[in-house]
Amino acid sequence: YRDLHTFELQAPTRLIEWARGSRVCVAGYGQSDGNEILQLIPPPTLLTKETQGLCPERDFKVEYGGFSERPVYSLKYLPDTSLLVTSGPPDSSLQVWQVSAEDSDVIKPVSPIATENGTGQSWAKIATISARAPWVLHGSRLDRVQITEAESRKNVYTAASGGSEELSGLAFLDCNTLLLCCATGRLCLADIRQPQSLVEAVSVPSAPCSEQWCMGTRHGAQGLEPSSQPVARLSSRGLLTLTDLRKTSEFLALAKARVPSPGSGAEFLCVSWAPALEGCLAISGFDGTVHVYDTQSWDSSGREAEPIFVHKGHAFGVAGGSGDPPLVTVHTWHLQKPRTLLSAASDGSLHVWDWVQPCGKC
Amino acid sequence: GAGQDVGRSCILVSIAGKNVMLDCGMHMGYNDDRRFPDFSYITQNGRLTDFLDCVIISHFHLDHCGALPYFSEMVGYDGPIYMTHPTKAICPILLEDYRKITVDKKGETNFFTSQMIKDCMKKVVAVHLHQTVQVDEELEIKAYYAGHVLGAAMFQIKVGCESVVYTGDYNMTPDRHLGAAWIDKCRPDLLISESTYATTIRDSKRCRERDFLKKVHETVERGGKVLIPVFALGRAQELCILLETFWERMNLKAPIYFSTGLTEKANHYYKLFITWTNQKIRKTFVQRNMFEFKHIKAFDRAFADNPGPMVVFATPGMLHAGQSLQIFRKWAGNEKNMVIMPGYCVQGTVGHKILSGQRKLEMEGRQILEVKMQVEYMSFSAHADAKGIMQLIRQAEPRNVLLVHGEAKKMEFLKQKIEQEFHVSCYMPANGETTTILTNPCIPVDISLGLLKRETAIAPLPDAKKPKLMHGTLLMKDNSFRLVSPEQALKELGLAEHQLRFTCRVHIQDPRKEHETVLRVYNHLKGILKDYSVQHLPDGSITVESILIQATAHSEDQGTKVLLVSWTYQDEELGSYLTSLLKKGLPQSTP
Repeated sequence: YRDLHTFELQAPTRLIEWARGSRVCVAGYGQSDGNEILQLIPPPTLLTKETQGLCPERDFKVEYGGFSERPVYSLKYLPDTSLLVTSGPPDSSLQVWQVSAEDSDVIKPVSPIATENGTGQSWAKIATISARAPWVLHGSRLDRVQITEAESRKNVYTAASGGSEELSGLAFLDCNTLLLCCATGRLCLADIRQPQSLVEAVSVPSAPCSEQWCMGTRHGAQGLEPSSQPVARLSSRGLLTLTDLRKTSEFLALAKARVPSPGSGAEFLCVSWAPALEGCLAISGFDGTVHVYDTQSWDSSGREAEPIFVHKGHAFGVAGGSGDPPLVTVHTWHLQKPRTLLSAASDGSLHVWDWVQPCGKC
Repeated sequence: GAGQDVGRSCILVSIAGKNVMLDCGMHMGYNDDRRFPDFSYITQNGRLTDFLDCVIISHFHLDHCGALPYFSEMVGYDGPIYMTHPTKAICPILLEDYRKITVDKKGETNFFTSQMIKDCMKKVVAVHLHQTVQVDEELEIKAYYAGHVLGAAMFQIKVGCESVVYTGDYNMTPDRHLGAAWIDKCRPDLLISESTYATTIRDSKRCRERDFLKKVHETVERGGKVLIPVFALGRAQELCILLETFWERMNLKAPIYFSTGLTEKANHYYKLFITWTNQKIRKTFVQRNMFEFKHIKAFDRAFADNPGPMVVFATPGMLHAGQSLQIFRKWAGNEKNMVIMPGYCVQGTVGHKILSGQRKLEMEGRQILEVKMQVEYMSFSAHADAKGIMQLIRQAEPRNVLLVHGEAKKMEFLKQKIEQEFHVSCYMPANGETTTILTNPCIPVDISLGLLKRETAIAPLPDAKKPKLMHGTLLMKDNSFRLVSPEQALKELGLAEHQLRFTCRVHIQDPRKEHETVLRVYNHLKGILKDYSVQHLPDGSITVESILIQATAHSEDQGTKVLLVSWTYQDEELGSYLTSLLKKGLPQSTP
């Protein structure tokens, strides 16, 4: 490590979202009432490019806070507005919130975005963009994907139905292109100018036992054509596929991460690309660790890959010994500092760490 | 002070007619009268001694006790001042130290003198933890362990059944030399808590310590000297234990020094008040005194010139004068050296200047000092964060919460969080603001046994959980409340009972003679009121129980008879019934 800071949140979070001004947002996902949404100001050590060892302010400060009656499973800010959107069980509706009201540090709820709730619907996955207007892309299943305009609440687009599988993630590649990932691993592209068609990307290798998949797209890449960035998919067995969206007929790369088996489920599977390091991605959700890989040397053989760094901090949780070992619930990369990541675990810990590149690449 | 401001903590509480002042701090950022709380808020005229029932000081930090000698000797207060034993022992030392610097070094005049400090401490009454102290017949106080620094306490102030708990500064997590704050489920009407760190999520202590040790180690490894300016008491002990443990583990040889004078006394106090330190220290004290350091030695001025690496803890903490400043001047020019500021520095001090980035300092005699040594800052202060505040509220179960905090920013979120989780009201007043808390005091009333027996005999006992209506007389005499029967009350008060009698006139059309009308009425009533005793007396009147009915002829109209119905207050119900019955008239047929 170059640096490691550990913090303890009052309640564990399964999301870490960046907001304007380098703010970070976390939220509770407990079953009972009183989950908090917290927008935090990171300590100055994280805001500056230079890492300072000792610093007067080393703490996160709660800038704004709100109370949610539901567990918060997903949260996205609406760019160019002071709103954010959350989703969580028991249904696929979205809650809308207003941050930064004058004179108060409370995040206030605004009227929700309702969705038709059929049976067996789980919580909605969310993506946001602010191109023509602030839009929310959401859906819990492949046949229930829609874009709602945040201010007018009008439905702007509904995706053609390609099946009723549960979604594990969705993203805007640009203001016209959507990427949908199912829990089965199926990846679909949609162009909102052509509502009737869904383009499928190459499926994932089928497996004897059911595994769940999630995806990671490279956001924050400036000036690069979004579709030129490979999409990563991670399975609950540790399989990783990279797909170039311009050549969807084949895998760009296939590898296997060394993860404990049997897996602990797919609840917190997370894969993400480093915004400032070419070809670097991180995975988590199998145990109390976060793995960082360099994918530039990968091929399509499906061989086991060696991580270039493993963050084990959460496994040595404060609770130590009592109960289940902590599980990393989410991780994210710092947007400017190339080797800094933030990760959170089921015991409420929040780590900020900066790893040292072993000699050689990256 | 301390309402939305850091420094000069001072809170006035009025509870059941008693006035208590909590803390009397000094603001370290000002050099004029603004450094003291504005005591005119307490009372415009009239003596403070008459107005205040007592003063309580939570701990020895100057922002909680710094203005005490000014308050008691210069403004004028002769009543009792309460604090814990360690606080009483250490306060005067810090006050004298600060006085010396302010007056001798800075040449200020409107400041308290050494004698004033001594006279002030004579008014102090020291208290033990969990000891109930009677300030007067009605007001009592009790101290609870607060962690934070040696001798820091939270105080419960109780008058009758109303109480307030003031936390001062506290810490809910134990550290290397102090335990965590603790209070029982005392359910005060109001909990006053500090909330300086309420909105922060603190970096773990391990990370802070690791980074601190890393810096010290790196400097010492390259042959540099590390200066750590500290206040004699407080975090210094924590850092000493930390370094000692690290030196031992890493088998390091560089010397560590602790500057003499004030600090020797400090270690002496920690040993003296060993019961105030944490469990671990007390347990290991038998085998090895934690404050008897193997690797830390007393400093001699001459050592500063010794070649080679070393670590020195020197006072005072903000590099504003004394030994730490001397050493700083010697070492500042060498970039291999390092100074680590472990706490807050007041504006105007050298500590503050170098932390702000200044590298060329003007010293006495127009000398310019170029600072090439590394300047670092590390805060090890022990305060409760949001989680800690919630923990304390959960322990004490107050009915209301009041937060005194260091930032003017509105902490609406925390207020809502507390209100939602505990269903209590939460207040955040500014300086000079008065907050009124409504309490529901219980007023105990003694009920006489005779009355109780009588009332329970009247009707069968209802469900024990349901309230029962009773009639009695409430006597308020000599500060006691008693519920007695009316007869008892009359006797005790020496009053005679008054009898109330009502008389009603009912007109009846009857041309016959009076005695015949009476007979008609008698027969009518006898027929209807079968369960009552209806009698026709020889004198021509009728009685129904104790109600009397007489008939006379109307003065002007012979055909009309006037019935006089008369009853006592106790027979009101029956009397009204009879009257309305008779008003309906008599039946036509007369037997």
